[in-house]
Amino acid sequence: MSSSSSDVLLPVDSSIKPPVFLHLGDTEPLSGVCVLDVTLPFGKTVNVEEISFKNHYTASVSMRLLRTGPPSQWVTAVRDLPLMENPHTEGGSQDYCCIHRTQVDPDHVISVRLILKQPSSTWRSFSLDDIRILPHKQQDPEKEVSDWLSDLTLADQHTDLEGLPPPQSVSSSLQQMFALTEVMMQSNETTASIGRFHVDGCYDINLLSLL
Amino acid sequence: MADKEKRRSGAAPPGMPDGKATKSDCDREFLSQAGVGELLRGAILKMVEARSDDPIGFLADHFCNLASVTEPGTAGCGDADQMNNGPQSAQEQQHLNRALWHLRLAHHSQRSAFSNNVCVAYDLLNSTGPRRRAAEVPECPEGSCNDSQTEVGGGVRGGLYTQTLQCLCSEGGVPASTSAPLLRRLHCQDHEAVPYDVFRHGVLTCAVFSDYIRQAQRLYAEVCCPDEGPASRALGMAVLGTLREALETSQGSEANCCVNANTKSNSCLEANVKAKRYLEASAKISPYKLGQAMATAQTRGPGGDMDAKEFENAAAELFITRVKVLS
Repeated sequence: MSSSSSDVLLPVDSSIKPPVFLHLGDTEPLSGVCVLDVTLPFGKTVNVEEISFKNHYTASVSMRLLRTGPPSQWVTAVRDLPLMENPHTEGGSQDYCCIHRTQVDPDHVISVRLILKQPSSTWRSFSLDDIRILPHKQQDPEKEVSDWLSDLTLADQHTDLEGLPPPQSVSSSLQQMFALTEVMMQSNETTASIGRFHVDGCYDINLLSLL
Repeated sequence: MADKEKRRSGAAPPGMPDGKATKSDCDREFLSQAGVGELLRGAILKMVEARSDDPIGFLADHFCNLASVTEPGTAGCGDADQMNNGPQSAQEQQHLNRALWHLRLAHHSQRSAFSNNVCVAYDLLNSTGPRRRAAEVPECPEGSCNDSQTEVGGGVRGGLYTQTLQCLCSEGGVPASTSAPLLRRLHCQDHEAVPYDVFRHGVLTCAVFSDYIRQAQRLYAEVCCPDEGPASRALGMAVLGTLREALETSQGSEANCCVNANTKSNSCLEANVKAKRYLEASAKISPYKLGQAMATAQTRGPGGDMDAKEFENAAAELFITRVKVLS
């Protein structure tokens, strides 16, 4: 299931396997427990900001996270979070829900497993829809200051200048030549053409429309 | 000006029966008839614009030029045949000299004065076309002026324009071999009529180029230690290399600008991008970077010497490749 983009954060591309209903022995799969695995893109770990989904008649949900770092292990993030007040009634059966970063320990996650429970026999099929995992964005300091700008502050460093012409005067000459070239190029932009290669009428709009 | 009037009236015969009031009225009338006020005002304005070092010489030249305008005015109309004989009539040569004089008055950095002078020079050169078809000028769109060489007001004759550029370059101290590639980009064919924009661009480019070459010559003198003969090739190439990098940076990746072409054009953002590029470019020719480049070149650069001519040509090439080819 591919994710659609939201305004601020893009959900991580995740594939959600079809729910697996658990059952004991040979009985019909009506145990009221199903497991949803959400696999994240291969090879990448995600720092989860939040997980949002739409309920569909699930009474409660547990979430387990597979985290990296030797050894990779499953950690229970959320245990039996109730989604419906009363499993037999409608209340909360189609709510939108969101599990936040602060409620869980969500860094370096490879895989997410959601265990859905619906003990009521009223609702035989239940699941979670539209599961989105939003990654945590690090606040990178904006790198406005480029390398060349920070180089300017190194002016105090004296390179070995023996036998070389004084850089100050050479630089000032170069700056003047640079400025002169820029003046010429600005004049370039505003120049009309002499129309050497224009033939009257060949660029008429009505001619072009016949093509 | 009032003093001059009084002095002139003093030269009149002292035995005049009229009173002082009428005498000065006579003089005032005489002066206004002659248009002297306008003449002097024009001369003074020109002098203020040009700020030449030799005011008397300047005024002498100025009045000389004016005199030569008024003299052959009547002769010009009758000599339509003479103008078609040979590529350059005497009158054309005169107009060219005067136009060049005007162009020399102000440095190109004095924007408004320079523009005015270019205007005047253009009008001068534009008026050298034969006048016999003045009455028959058909209505023509601008694009077809190329072919009609004899229409008054269509533009300056291509050959005359090219000559103007050549004179400007040589007067600016640029050797012919150095300016040849530039002129190849800017010149016009003899049969073409040059509009004002193109004329101005050509003249400005030649003026700027002369300054540029003089600067390059000075740069060479700095780069080579005068006692030790020609500059090392490594050093010369390194110095010009930094200039080339700076120019390439300032022109920047135009692709960056185009990315935003479809979004709302934010002129503030564009100005920021431009400013950033200029800062980055000028950082490349800062004394520190230059010192680094020269030190590196000294240890690792190619061997051999670079004489003044070669340096000048290399510098000129940096400039000329960025001149838009006229089309």
